Amino acid sequence: MKHELGMSLAALAVGLMTSVMPAKADFWSDAGAKYKGVTLHGVTESTPPSNYIKDVLAPAFEKATGIKVEIETTSWDQMYDKAIKDMEAKTGIYDMVYIEQDIIYAYLARDFLVDITKSLKDDPSLKAPDYDETRFTTFANYFKNADGDLFGIPMEAFIKVYLYRTDLFNDPAIKEAFKKETGKDLAPAKTHEEYTQIAEFFTKWGKDHNLELWGTTAQAHTGHPASWYEFFESIAPTFGVYNWGIDASKNYSASVANGGTMNSDKAKAALKYWLHLRDIAPPESPASTWTEVGTTFAAGRAAQGLVYGENAAWIAADAEKSKVVGNVGVALPPLEPGVMEDTEAGKGYIGYYDGGAFGLPVTSKNKEASLLFLQYIGQDSVQGDWAVAAPRITNTATYDDPKVIEMDKKLNGYYTMLKNDGKLFAGAPPYPFHAQVREATAPIFYKILLGEVSPDDGLDQMAAAAEAELTNLGYRK
Amino acid sequence: MRSNRVGWLLLAPTIAILGIFGIVPFLYVLYVAFHQWNPFGANPYMIYNGANNFRRLVFDNEFLTSIAFTLKFAFFAVLSEVVLGYFLAQLFMKEFPGRGLFRTIHTLPLIVAPIVVGSVWRLMTTPSIGIIPYLLKSWFGYDLNIGRDATMAFALTVIMDIWHWTPLVTLTLLAALVSLPKEPFEQAQIDGANRWQIFWHVTLPMIRPAILATVFIRLMDALRTVDEVWMLTGGGPGAATRYLGLHIWKIVFPKTDYGYGSATSVIVLYLTLVMCWLLYVALVARRGQKRAS
Repeated sequence: MKHELGMSLAALAVGLMTSVMPAKADFWSDAGAKYKGVTLHGVTESTPPSNYIKDVLAPAFEKATGIKVEIETTSWDQMYDKAIKDMEAKTGIYDMVYIEQDIIYAYLARDFLVDITKSLKDDPSLKAPDYDETRFTTFANYFKNADGDLFGIPMEAFIKVYLYRTDLFNDPAIKEAFKKETGKDLAPAKTHEEYTQIAEFFTKWGKDHNLELWGTTAQAHTGHPASWYEFFESIAPTFGVYNWGIDASKNYSASVANGGTMNSDKAKAALKYWLHLRDIAPPESPASTWTEVGTTFAAGRAAQGLVYGENAAWIAADAEKSKVVGNVGVALPPLEPGVMEDTEAGKGYIGYYDGGAFGLPVTSKNKEASLLFLQYIGQDSVQGDWAVAAPRITNTATYDDPKVIEMDKKLNGYYTMLKNDGKLFAGAPPYPFHAQVREATAPIFYKILLGEVSPDDGLDQMAAAAEAELTNLGYRK
Repeated sequence: MRSNRVGWLLLAPTIAILGIFGIVPFLYVLYVAFHQWNPFGANPYMIYNGANNFRRLVFDNEFLTSIAFTLKFAFFAVLSEVVLGYFLAQLFMKEFPGRGLFRTIHTLPLIVAPIVVGSVWRLMTTPSIGIIPYLLKSWFGYDLNIGRDATMAFALTVIMDIWHWTPLVTLTLLAALVSLPKEPFEQAQIDGANRWQIFWHVTLPMIRPAILATVFIRLMDALRTVDEVWMLTGGGPGAATRYLGLHIWKIVFPKTDYGYGSATSVIVLYLTLVMCWLLYVALVARRGQKRAS
């Protein structure tokens, strides 16, 4: 009797599953039927997460819905050029654009993007059963307006972490030499002083042992904004200079005289610290952007460095591209006293939370079909493989995916750090004038890097240039 | 009358294309140049501001520095290309084994896109990775670091431009040399002229139009170079290779200062025209007047 009852229940369960599953799976083909023959065009930066969309998610979506998706992956500069020109001129070429976290404020200020939350509420027939905004990590908050409506589906999120070489840090001979020279145990640095000491030690070690090894990386290109970003988004905050030293509440002031911190003593100390590191970094550093910093570390040329999380996975796990596989440790960036307290009190942050989302321009000619695609890439079910292919996590459930847990071990706890300590990092400040202020001040910054202007004078000039630009743009009254 | 109408009819497509893709955009740039317009400003719309953008240019140190660097770049690049191009054209006039192959190889850079040229040169010159710093270090003990050495960065942009564009000059001058009649040269030889005299008094005057056309084309190209330099140095170190094209690009695209960028473009166009006119007067018009007098 019991056996018969069990069989009946099992049959009922199978029957229910088979009747429910096709209905769920059919959502995409049903919803897509109306847009069959439509081709969606997207533009994004050529990065591993974007390439995954292009190579895996777009074909899968086409198979499920019949809607073709063409994703154009290009350079960071070109991506912005194309997207902004298209939205500005209202040509409607692109149905999806990559929105880096730091430009969302400018796009929102210009009403470039469709309110995804509202659009799905207005037309529930477009809402996919597996898509739910609440499943995103808090990084999604960067892409929301004041009402909490979402304007971009998060597609990548990383923190800029402190990577160090575990093989070098655990080498008994090196440990002994370090102890002998500094009187300290060799361990990942917690303060700037410790970081400098370790960097100086390894640069000397490399020289003494005729090795192609230096103590630190430095993203210090003398003609590319990467250096500007490294300073203002990764170094200055660890000295207590937040939001690029510009205070929006004080009439967008940058200079100390007007209430800003761009040329504060802390900023000047931070710049001198970083310039010293640049001087003991590998010789390619003055020509290094974020990409070259990753390759420098992967080539085994630096003992430690601040590296964008998007590069951390391949550096730690891809033996075809990296010489340091299995030898990469992850830690939080070194800090000045008081910065962690600021961060915990919600007044500061310890480093850069980088990432981006896919948004739908209001000029798109295929909004409904694009909304389907955006939901498709936002589902929990596609996240696991995506996170393994490219080290990005945008949905909370992805942390518990077995594949991701396995990958986390290879990355020495990078995902765990992202989950537990991600809150200590912050994206770019909510200003709609990022590129404008950066371009107004970068030429002076490059002069500092070249030694044509002293760090102190240079930061004074940069603060003045930032305020002049903000006045010119009409933000500063 | 009828033939006139047919002429205009035949010209119409060209005039239409020129109007749509040349004149209208130029007039629009001119219009924008008299406005303050930054779509990411507090007021994202165009505001008429008279000649303020042009007035700003006069005191803009970055712009003036960029002009100086660009002129220096154009001078060294174009002069080297013309001299080298002429010698290579003369070489290709002669018969030697493998001439066809050498000429083909020599022409190959022309078919490479500027952005690719910049990328390849960047790979070749990146410290620690590139072959050029490696060889310079191994052979001469010289540390090439274009991220720090402004002079070397400038020199490399010139060398890259020469590598890329000398073949164009060679082909143009080769075409001119091939088309020259033999009689004046035979006559000069009979009269006892040496090689230098033949070059100075016969060859040069006869290929002067070709040289002038080549110089005009290369000068205009050099004054608006962007992609190669952008890839190689990004305009750095500092502003050492921030040539006018790159300078305008930075104002218009990352900075989105459309009004000021348009004004800069108009001034650069004006400067280019003035330079070409001066060159024309120096090389052609004055000579024509002398001949007439």
